[in-house]
Amino acid sequence: MDEPPKEPVKYIDAEVRLPYHYVAGDYRARYLRALKDKKILGSKCAATGKVFVMPVIASPESFATCDTWVELAGRGTITTFCVVNIPVIGRDLEIPYVAASVALDGADVSMFALIQECPPADVRMGMRVEAVWKPDGERRGDHEDILYFRPTGEPDAPFESFSHRL
Amino acid sequence: MSLRNVAVVGFAQLPVVARDEHRMSTEMLYPVVREALERVGVTRDAIDYQVSASADYLDGRPFGFVAALDVMGSWPPRQDLHLEMDGSFAAYYAWLKIQTGEVDTAIVCAHGKTSEGEPERVLNLQLDPYYQAPLGLTPTATAALQASAYQARTGATDADFAAVAARNRAAGARNPDNQVRESASADALQRTPWVIEPLRRGYLSPVGESASCLVLAAEGKAEQLCQRPAWIHGVDHRTELQSIGARDLSRSAGAARAAEKAFEMAGIGSARDVDLVELLATNPAEELIVCEALGVNARATAPVVNPSGGALCAHPVMSTGLIRLGEVFRQLSGQAGERTVPGARRAVAHASQGHCLQQNVVWVLGTERRWA
Repeated sequence: MDEPPKEPVKYIDAEVRLPYHYVAGDYRARYLRALKDKKILGSKCAATGKVFVMPVIASPESFATCDTWVELAGRGTITTFCVVNIPVIGRDLEIPYVAASVALDGADVSMFALIQECPPADVRMGMRVEAVWKPDGERRGDHEDILYFRPTGEPDAPFESFSHRL
Repeated sequence: MSLRNVAVVGFAQLPVVARDEHRMSTEMLYPVVREALERVGVTRDAIDYQVSASADYLDGRPFGFVAALDVMGSWPPRQDLHLEMDGSFAAYYAWLKIQTGEVDTAIVCAHGKTSEGEPERVLNLQLDPYYQAPLGLTPTATAALQASAYQARTGATDADFAAVAARNRAAGARNPDNQVRESASADALQRTPWVIEPLRRGYLSPVGESASCLVLAAEGKAEQLCQRPAWIHGVDHRTELQSIGARDLSRSAGAARAAEKAFEMAGIGSARDVDLVELLATNPAEELIVCEALGVNARATAPVVNPSGGALCAHPVMSTGLIRLGEVFRQLSGQAGERTVPGARRAVAHASQGHCLQQNVVWVLGTERRWA
């Protein structure tokens, strides 16, 4: 036996390791598989017609099922954004960069996206952007299949056209 | 003391499975909430209050209960509560809320995907982090300590445990929602290998997953929503010390106290005044300890114990206790199918959670209103 500690015990290490193996669910699996084919899928609410991306089985708003699938264009409008000036662990990007909320054309909710090929100072609400995909053969069916969004050069969308999606 | 008469007016659950490969936890919950409301014949607008029961550590997701709001019909915003405990405890909070008079109706939802993580490792963390959790004690290990303590005090034998397990398995074969639907003889169960002595494989709950939803309503609404409501006559909820070294593991003081107070509220003398008992015990020793605490003779034919098959035939963690309440509702409202206890007019629904029965809630329900 070791000698009892001479100093009082002030703390102990209690390492916790809990492994998990998630089920994607059929809805999410279909969405992720479609990314491999450069397709973004949403689901449409049976009651209100609103389109959710990522797809959900039911509308949180109406409580109705969302069982119609919709293919969305890989382009949309920046509704709001921020310029990130601090490095984030696990995100190997040159700072500053822009994290934006992008309302895809045809969708009623926005998704988060990285904006590149554009100086941060030029990014603005209403800017039109499009998805830039990983090359063919490299897409794996996960969110990294969309590398980032970049400006399309189209005229900005008027504020009224996306104010309900902020 | 006169309280508001509150009744269970609806219940729905998914059949329990070991693993649902096709749905996330919230995707399992959504159809159950819809079904419960459809059975009651109302839309979501008719419900004033909601409580959900789930555990982020089981799901492996922070704030999993927030995702559940998306499938509970929470818009326009309404009052909501979440509990990291079995749904039966969540129902207690819904009942309390209705007692305040602020709301008349509530749904209680429970969900949990045990197959995505390792419940034995997760539930180890319910123990104190300094002395007991680092020993690596799992719920099965502490249950074995409890079973040994019970045997030492009472002289209960391996054969006694096998008989309890066999009774549950025989009853459970008649319940289509169970994960295990094959009956098994006491002899066969007694030949299954030790998991941790004195608990054999055949004595332990099959941990699975499901989702469940219970609908509660106060007098005035309940009769409109349900032809045969199951009225709540009494309820009590007790928590014991966390440290398993500080308790007499051969007994459940918490279950005994909860039963005493719930029976007092219900105006009954003892469990002999009820027709059936649904209790949450994850092994035969727990069942015998809870029966003793409730004053039920586990070997007698009345009251009937676990006509559903109990947790030894299906143990979807977080829902298992709520299903006991749902089973009592099914029995008292004539929806129990082949497992009906004929003429049942009063019943007890018990739930427990935590190592060695740390938390207990006891409900008494009946076909008649409790208070005039």
